[in-house]
Amino acid sequence: MRPVTNPVGRFVIYALLIMFLLWSVVPILWITLQSFKTQRQAAARAPLFVFKPTLESYGRLWLDSSPDNLAVLLIGLMAVVVLVLLAVFARRLPIPRNIVYAGILGAVIVIIWGIPKIVDTAKFYDYFVNSLIVSAGAVIFSVSIGCLSGYALARYSGMSGVVILLVALAFRALPRMAFLLPFYWMGRISGLHDTYFLVIIALVAVNQPFTIWLLRSFFMDIPREIEDAAMIDGASRLGAFLKVITPIMWPGIFSTALFTLLLAYHEFLLVRILTQSKWTLPLAMVQYIGGAQMPGQIAMQAAAAVSSTIPIVLVILFFQKQLVKGLSAGAVKG
Amino acid sequence: MIALMTVPLVMAVWLSLNFITFRTLDAPEFVGLANYQDVLSDSRFWGALRFTLLIALISVPAHIIIGLAVALLLDETSTRIRSLFLPGMLMPMIVVPVVGTLMFRQLFEPTGLFAWFFSEVVGRRFIFTEFSVKALIILHTIWASTPFALVIFFAGLQTLPGELVDASSIDGASRLQQLRYVIIPHLRSLIVLEALIALMDFFRLFDSVFILTEQNPIFKADTVMTYNFRVAITVQRLGKGSAMAILAMIGIFVVLIPFLIMTYREQIEER
Repeated sequence: MRPVTNPVGRFVIYALLIMFLLWSVVPILWITLQSFKTQRQAAARAPLFVFKPTLESYGRLWLDSSPDNLAVLLIGLMAVVVLVLLAVFARRLPIPRNIVYAGILGAVIVIIWGIPKIVDTAKFYDYFVNSLIVSAGAVIFSVSIGCLSGYALARYSGMSGVVILLVALAFRALPRMAFLLPFYWMGRISGLHDTYFLVIIALVAVNQPFTIWLLRSFFMDIPREIEDAAMIDGASRLGAFLKVITPIMWPGIFSTALFTLLLAYHEFLLVRILTQSKWTLPLAMVQYIGGAQMPGQIAMQAAAAVSSTIPIVLVILFFQKQLVKGLSAGAVKG
Repeated sequence: MIALMTVPLVMAVWLSLNFITFRTLDAPEFVGLANYQDVLSDSRFWGALRFTLLIALISVPAHIIIGLAVALLLDETSTRIRSLFLPGMLMPMIVVPVVGTLMFRQLFEPTGLFAWFFSEVVGRRFIFTEFSVKALIILHTIWASTPFALVIFFAGLQTLPGELVDASSIDGASRLQQLRYVIIPHLRSLIVLEALIALMDFFRLFDSVFILTEQNPIFKADTVMTYNFRVAITVQRLGKGSAMAILAMIGIFVVLIPFLIMTYREQIEER
């Protein structure tokens, strides 16, 4: 459309946009503000906008006892090491990048595993680790299965695209309960109830149609000639897939992985039904809402909410472009 | 892969025909359709269904209209300003749904920003009642689902051919007419798709309702899914829960089948 040029029109446009922006972020900003207050300040009837920020609630959330200086020093040191690793090794060294990334990943895992050994972490840290394990497992499983089936669907058949889209939509429509109760029952019978394995498998099963559909629309974009050329040069179909297609597909696979991560990280009902002790962050939130354990601890709730949001927001904002690209590619092209 | 998805479904049907509680997990007792009778004569189930339909009826059009309007407005701005607005606007989609609900709840609690605002403006305190909790749930569903609609509509607008719009304005079409006859037809399949997805999502709405009503069972704001959860897990009637899930599934498909056929036709035409 021709852009609106008269000043009144432009003013109205910006006013409306800012209103929508406020509607979107005010709840988030408010809870962030609350989380930096002391318990008493947060419980005040009239909202307090100017105050001295405190990390009190965060401390109580993540730690059981306040750490001594040595422990803080050690953690700080580890953080510095990772940052240095990231900064120096990511691009500069002559060794292959994959090895570097694997090394950094290893360092991060060691640190996450090591922190509870040094300081006295609270339950919240365990929930955080559970979330990491479950989301990582779900992403790895569903992307690797999704790649193979998405590729096959994109290549081998004409009509299947429409059918898989419909199946994906239909499965999205199914009430989760219809899936979960059988999983719950099987878990109880087989003793797999309350294991990471069952949660990950169920997550993959529930979200898979969507993953496949998204990946398929990416694979459709790749001209068939590329793999034909690779196969003429003597590569097998699997070889062509792994060595030629996957590198080109990387952006698509990546945004699908991000989307799967979002779905897995957000999941509430599934984890609530299939586990008892392996709670992830969304579930952990429930106990800070003000049940029997902590009646109405507003600042604590707020700190828990912010802490469980920050990791995913960082990841998503960092890769925002890919995610939007993936979403629009999947949705627009069908 | 298909087994992973269909086996549980078949089992759900089987479970729904049996009387199973937590104690008799290994020895389900076959009771035929008794569970279904039980569900259909349960007044709380019908109440939950009514509320779910109400949510869908209000939230689906509301979030599509808001999403489309904001997408159109964003299209008027320059790229730089857009990149200032977008991250904030997409936040509700990224925030964990449970946390998003908690955020909403904190705004409305006695210590919250909105509760304060309400008491300043209206002059009496904001309290949680059945009505206000339901309104809150509906507001939250709109808040949480608009960003996705915004993203796909905005992406759709970018593919709108400029000549089409120019031609229509040379022919003397007003902005409203352009919107009606050029833009909306262009976005039609996206709007239908989004309506479909949202309808399904609202039908299985669980997290937010569960969070808002967990500590206060007095608020009779159950949706089909939360009531289903209470029956199956809290009360441990697995059979009845499965029956309810199957019924909900059939209900959804009855609503969806026309949409699915429409999508199918459209996809075929495109080829």
